Amino acid sequence: MIEVKYFGAVAEKTKCEFEKLSFSEELSLQKLLQDLNKKYEFDALTFSVAVNQKIVSKTSDYTLQTSDIVALLPPFAGG
Amino acid sequence: MILPEIGEEGQQKLAKSKVLVIGAGGLGAAILPYLAAAGVGEIGIVDHDVIEISNLQRQVIYKTDAIGKSKAKEAKAMIAELNPLVKVKAISEKLSGRNAISLFEKYDSIVDATDNIAIKYLINDACFVTNKPMVYGSIFRFQGQVSVFNYQNGPTYRCLYPDENSNAINCEEAGVLGVSVGIIGMFQANEVLKMILGIGEVLSGKILVYNVLNNEQQKYDFEKSDIQTITREAFEEKYNKCEVEEVSFESVLNEMENDEVLFLDVRNTDESPKISLKNQIQIPLMHLESKLENLDKKQTIYIFCQSGIRSKIAFELLQKHRFKNIKSIAGGALAMKNILNKKNSHEFTNFYF
Repeated sequence: MIEVKYFGAVAEKTKCEFEKLSFSEELSLQKLLQDLNKKYEFDALTFSVAVNQKIVSKTSDYTLQTSDIVALLPPFAGG
Repeated sequence: MILPEIGEEGQQKLAKSKVLVIGAGGLGAAILPYLAAAGVGEIGIVDHDVIEISNLQRQVIYKTDAIGKSKAKEAKAMIAELNPLVKVKAISEKLSGRNAISLFEKYDSIVDATDNIAIKYLINDACFVTNKPMVYGSIFRFQGQVSVFNYQNGPTYRCLYPDENSNAINCEEAGVLGVSVGIIGMFQANEVLKMILGIGEVLSGKILVYNVLNNEQQKYDFEKSDIQTITREAFEEKYNKCEVEEVSFESVLNEMENDEVLFLDVRNTDESPKISLKNQIQIPLMHLESKLENLDKKQTIYIFCQSGIRSKIAFELLQKHRFKNIKSIAGGALAMKNILNKKNSHEFTNFYF
């Protein structure tokens, strides 16, 4: 089980601020992002990705571990 | 001053500090009075907007009777009332590649209180070139982000968000509560004061995300990326590349008899076809810079060469010397000769039949 947190415009797309996902096979960060993109259609939304409070490359071949917390952080523009 | 972390020495540091705040909107309205009240020596305020009624719910330093007035000037007046010891400069201009670097060089730290992503990249790049810290804050509805970029060569906005083609929406579009912007602005003012005083831990290499609805806050670490750098030359290329204005000769045919305009041939004297228009002079490109005094900076000048390449270089040269009304003729003398021939044979035809 991992937790995915959503912020800003990304959370508007997912209509939730976090969700817990379970997976049976080995799951890479890249694959998770692909799956989420398919599910929520982020399209042109830009965001950075953090794993356990640390921003990582979206193309890194990191294999997700049980209890990892992933966060999708888009830039904000208001002021 | 009573605080032991600050004291007389800290107050001196504040008085000597110079802070540039870009944007006098919701964030700026929280940042500016606190910096001024703390005794920051010099504050610059960049904002080219005027106050609108829809701003007042979050831009709390402005009064209703100031609607229609310059934000930068009104903010300056507010600070003068609050703390007359602060030297304030109101800059009612849009921040651009042309003014950013010279402005940033005059201050110690730069506060990004804007509501536009493109400007954030410009601020980031100008901070990188001038080696100044960028105190970033921004809002999305009930969430805010704060970070300090480029602090002592630390990571930048581009290290966090390398993808410049973002489409994030601002407060006017998204809607926001005044207090949300105020809270984030306060976090930014706090970072500025910490940097000046040398106390605490500056939010460098970390982004703070705050949610005002559930009061949750998270900090995320990010690293410096060596590819996200920009040189002064690359900055000029990206933001200040001059666009050569080209016109076709056909579109200026009716200017041929106009004594107010000048056709400038930048070819060498031995090149053909010869073109001889009524108001025309020839200064070969290689001599142009030394003969600028022969030209009037306010006059409309159509520049041409053989095929339209050297005239573009001449255009850039004249633009650099602040010529205002210049255009380069596309296709050069070759295209012009063609059109002149057609025109003449047409007139010839008309004349006889």
